[in-house]
Amino acid sequence: MRKRKTPAQKPSKKALPPEKVKIRQLPTGVRGLDEITGGGLPEFSFNIIAGAPGCGKTTLAHQIIFANATAQKPALYFTVLGEPTLKMLRYQQQYSFFDPEKLGKAIRFINLSHIVMENDLGGVLAEITREVETANPGMVVVDSFRTVIRKAKGEESDMALQGFVQRLALLLTSWEATTFLIGEYSEQDIRDNPVFTVADGLLLLSQSIERNSVVRKLQLVKIRGQDSVPGLHTVRINGDGLQAFSRTLGFVGKKSKPARPRRLSVGIPELDKMMGGGILEGDSMLVAGPSGTGKSALATQFLAAGLRNGEPAIAAIFEERPDGYAARASAFGLDLETPQKNGKLELLYLRPLDLSVDESMQEILDAVKRTGAKRLVIDSLVGFEMALAPGFREDFRESLYRMIAALTGAGVTIFTAVEIEDTFTALQFSHYTISFLTDDIIRLRYVEIDGQLRKVLVVIKMRGGNHSKDIREYVITDEGVVVIGPRQTDYVRLTTGLPERIGQLKEKAPEPKAKE
Amino acid sequence: MEFARLLLAYEVASGKPADREAPAAFRVCEKLRAPLGRLMGFDGFRSLLSRALVLACAQLPVLCTLQIKANGSLGGLGELEAKLEARAIVEGEVVLVGQLLGLLVIFIGPGLTLRLLHEIWPEWKIEDFWQ
Repeated sequence: MRKRKTPAQKPSKKALPPEKVKIRQLPTGVRGLDEITGGGLPEFSFNIIAGAPGCGKTTLAHQIIFANATAQKPALYFTVLGEPTLKMLRYQQQYSFFDPEKLGKAIRFINLSHIVMENDLGGVLAEITREVETANPGMVVVDSFRTVIRKAKGEESDMALQGFVQRLALLLTSWEATTFLIGEYSEQDIRDNPVFTVADGLLLLSQSIERNSVVRKLQLVKIRGQDSVPGLHTVRINGDGLQAFSRTLGFVGKKSKPARPRRLSVGIPELDKMMGGGILEGDSMLVAGPSGTGKSALATQFLAAGLRNGEPAIAAIFEERPDGYAARASAFGLDLETPQKNGKLELLYLRPLDLSVDESMQEILDAVKRTGAKRLVIDSLVGFEMALAPGFREDFRESLYRMIAALTGAGVTIFTAVEIEDTFTALQFSHYTISFLTDDIIRLRYVEIDGQLRKVLVVIKMRGGNHSKDIREYVITDEGVVVIGPRQTDYVRLTTGLPERIGQLKEKAPEPKAKE
Repeated sequence: MEFARLLLAYEVASGKPADREAPAAFRVCEKLRAPLGRLMGFDGFRSLLSRALVLACAQLPVLCTLQIKANGSLGGLGELEAKLEARAIVEGEVVLVGQLLGLLVIFIGPGLTLRLLHEIWPEWKIEDFWQ
């Protein structure tokens, strides 16, 4: 018989340390911002939204309160000598997030102008206290807080000002309110300002004009207790309010590429063989060549091969409209129309003015998520860069790197076409110096042979394994790119474009020559 | 204007006996003053009411005897009553309140205006009018 253990004999349960406080994170209501903040805004935090006029501070505050306020935990929006409230409501109701149902009960606007004008900081604090104690809000906004401070500065010492900010923060935190002070502060103002010392979070909005384009940015200068995404993030204001585009492009913590990637067909059997059996799933392939060498034809074959294999695809095209792109594929016997109708293929034509690189990347990422795409074509990098606002072109290479890394990391196989000029001294791959971020490189080029401008291709690099080193001639027929014949052994210096015949092989030209 | 007429009629019908000593327009403006002053500041409300009065005076010049006090309340009722018959006063009230509501609709739209009025007169079936 088993002996029952006495309490003393029982293995003592190790006492767990007391649980840490769990900080609830509130949604910002701004697309992309939750990811930048590291999950949302910490509940009961005391935050500042700073920036020059026109940066979107008020709109951001509105988005936050409309996303969170309820009749039980309302938001109090104190306005002070800034934009008249009627006008604010007039403009803000144009945004899609503005829900009139919330006004009055869940969101209450209170004008403090007369209080600020007629009272010292103590009087302002007393009024805010009265309103907060009456309404028991979950959120409080003071717009513009800088006006309160500016009025006070003339009359009160720095110490009194600091005391006011401290007491305000204490009051609002004790009442379990998440607070946003809005102010026209610049980066310069942030130094030595007591308001910023007390704040738990600081969101700095900015906009700059670069040539003909306006570039808006958001920086999370400070957020306590959270792992936020550092740096400047692009912001767009449209009918939905602010949208932020995280520098990580939303791919933090997403699944990584398959451990044992498959070999995928690029749609040209001979080229698959040259690549050691096809492109590795999750690879990024750069196809470089001058105009007319068949980069887009190759791209459509790559798409069609995937679609035949049940892999949804996206093509981000910049130089041709989708209908033209699909029609050209159709000339090669490739059907891109049906998969578009079935939701298996999206041809994204991204050519709006002032496109930011992160926005366009987001469009591509959204489409990838929407369709579950396994293949992505970017046709072409030159067109992509030209579609961007000039101010964003400096960031192009960095953003491209982030997007390719994010997508290939998630197992998407990328085909990027890049147009380059053929020189007759070197074999260039790309003027973007992005070769390092591609796994595979295929170079297409013209060569002059026997009085004809013919085309050759070579696999330069395959990160995932061995590949053919042959330079192969190819033609573009009504079946697309067709790789022909064995490697050219009759010539040397094919890579220069001006080869020299060393053999005596009487070969037949792949395409008929003009009759003499 | 029809909307203002209905609001005034409702205010007359629903007001307490003690309220009925002041014209309905005064009571409507006074009821609007507190929430609108809270929303847009009392200076803001005063500006809006001043503009409404100017527009109303253009329609009905006798209304120019009314004034707007510093706190945004209406004054000059006695003079107006001395000049006009009861029926004409009612018409003047409709014009003034109509202009005030019209301004609100111009700035924040019918939806928010309606919502605001509903908060002040929760029992009033405003929706019936809009439908």
